[in-house]
Parts: sequence; C-alpha cells; structure tokens
Amino acid sequence: MSDDKNEKSKVADKASEIARNIWLAGVGAYGRAVDEAQDRMEKAGMETPKLFRELVKAGAALEDEARKGISSSRAARASVEDRIHRVRESFQLQLPARGEDLLALHEKIDRLTRKVDDLAAALAAQGGRKPAAKKKAAPRRVAGKTKAAPSRGRSGGKKPA
Amino acid sequence: MKTRDRILVTSLALFNEEGEAHTTTIDIANELDISPGNLYYHFKGKDQIIGELFQQYELALSDTLRAPLEGTLSPEPERVEDNWYYLYVVLEEMWQYRFLHHNLDDLLQRYPPIRKGFRRLLQLQRSALLAICHNLLEQAVIDTGEEQLLSLVDNMTLALTYWFSYDQLLHEPRAPQIVIHQGVLQLLTMVAPYLGDDQLRFYRDCQAIFDSMIAGQKPG
Repeated sequence: MSDDKNEKSKVADKASEIARNIWLAGVGAYGRAVDEAQDRMEKAGMETPKLFRELVKAGAALEDEARKGISSSRAARASVEDRIHRVRESFQLQLPARGEDLLALHEKIDRLTRKVDDLAAALAAQGGRKPAAKKKAAPRRVAGKTKAAPSRGRSGGKKPA
Repeated sequence: MKTRDRILVTSLALFNEEGEAHTTTIDIANELDISPGNLYYHFKGKDQIIGELFQQYELALSDTLRAPLEGTLSPEPERVEDNWYYLYVVLEEMWQYRFLHHNLDDLLQRYPPIRKGFRRLLQLQRSALLAICHNLLEQAVIDTGEEQLLSLVDNMTLALTYWFSYDQLLHEPRAPQIVIHQGVLQLLTMVAPYLGDDQLRFYRDCQAIFDSMIAGQKPG
C-alpha cells in the first residue's frame, strides 16, 4: 500500500513538478514567509519571478505537510473530475447549432430535394419501363402524356447541374 | 436534519438572498420557525454562524483548488478544455457562498477572524490558476512569458474574487447560470490573446452559449 502511494506521488511529481512548486510557494505564503517577503515584494517591483522562487524555497520547508495535503485531497480530486465531466456534458448540450452549420445543412437538404425530384421525374420518364413491371396498366393509360413528361424531367435535371 | 445544520443551511440561504448585513438572528429563527432562544442555544450570535459557514466554504473550495496543484487537469492534449470546465466548477462553488464575496471588505472588517482564512483561499486560487496556466504553457496551448503569466494569474484571481459583486452592481439579479457562464467567459477573455486557433474555437463556443442565454432571458 505504501508502495502504491510512493508510485502515485512519483507520478504526480513528474507530471507537475512546477505546479507542486507553485503550491509550495502558496503554502509558504500562508505562514510567515509572506510577511517577511512583503517588504521585498514592494521593492522588487518587476522582479516577481525572483520573489516567487524565494517563496518556493520557503514553502519547501513545509513539504512534508504539503505531501499529506496531497494524499488527503485525492478524493477531492476525484470529485472535481466528476464535476468537470458534468459541466462538459451540460456545455455540449447548451451549445447552439452554429449559423454556418445550419446554412450548410439547408443547402444540403435543397440539393437532396432537387436530386430526389430529378430522379423521380427521370424514372417516370424513361421509365415507363421499370414501374411497368409493377403496374402494367399504368404506362398505357399515361401513354398520351409521356411526350410531355420527358421534357419536364430533363429540364428539371439540368437546373441543378 | 439536525437543528444546528438547519440553522446553517437557512442562514446561508438568507445571507445569499437578502444580504448578510440585512439578516438578523431573529430573521433566521423566524424563517426556521424556532424560538430565538433555541437558536441561541446552538449559536451565540451571527458571527458564530458566519464563522462556521466560512469554515465550510474554505474546506470545500480548498479541496477544489488543490486539484490542479496535485496534477494536470488535462493529461492528454485533447482534454485541454477540461481546464476551462474547471473554472465553472470553481465559480459554482463560490456561488454557493456568494454572500461572502458580496460586500467583501465590509464583511472582513466586521468579522476579522475570517480575514486570514480568506487570504489563504486567495493564495490558493492564485496557485491553482498559475498551475493551470503553467500546464497550458507546457502543452503549448498558450504562449506567453513568465512575468506576463504571473500578472495574468493575478488578473484572473482578481476577476474571480469580485465577479459576483461586480455583476450585482451592474445588473439586476440574473440567473446563476448566466452569472457563472459570463464569469468563465470573462476569465477566458484574459487568456484568449495567448490562445491558439483550436482553443479560440472553444472560446467562441462559450460566447455562443452566452449569447443564446441572454437571448433566452429577454422575454423574462
């Protein structure tokens, strides 16, 4: 079990050495470090990173306590990840369709509608034949109209092209 | 629920809704339908209640703020957005105890014991945000120098701390999800100049949601 703990803290060390230092800086800042550093902070002005390093040093003194904090916050970490997951889901749900996406969708539907119309017309035209298999009587009755039908079908077929 | 816990829950609700300064222990007892004597048995005064509520707040928020310090929130590059979602989590938690952030200076003056704790929380907030930004820098999601990074983090902490009171000053009371969402958007705006194209897309999504939220609000 202690091996497992060591393993985990090793991984954490590698993953976020910097983050840990930052945290330690914060821990150091809790105590006297921040008061001692206060004067220097004012004088330091632009040299904040240097001060930051000093805070890390001060914080490192409290490293053992910091480590305890890390392991005890593991459950908290899991809960945070859980909540992040929930936020992500609600975010995706709230995401409105983008205007450009909708426009593209409309165009696609228009194109498909035209294609279906053309196909239907073409079928009706040349196809006296195919439907004929099913409805033998139909082509004969419509025979008179077949002259008009192909022209309509073709002109319809040219438009989208 | 125990009377003691009920007092805390009710006090928190009243402080958040009516403002802490306008809420007396009598109001709390009335709201709970208990006698002031009964309330006094559990808490000797409002400052005790506030002290206990602050303790709850500090515990809960500290746990949340430690998460990015323990390790990156986005171990894989595809999960970079988790860092942004995390900001919602933090703001949500702060929202639950928002009375502390409304009228903050006044509150800290009247209840000195929580000043120290509040400073601890601020430090932790800075550390958490710095850890996140450092991580983003390492993953090359953002591009900035160390000095800028520290200032950026302070700006973000500042916005985070006063976001609710700013919103309250500027607007009539608004739905919490709008306040929180805009808070995240505000923080993202600070990072946006350093973001690459991929994450700018997320930023725009965030903006789109906010726009539709505001649009949905108008009739009301």
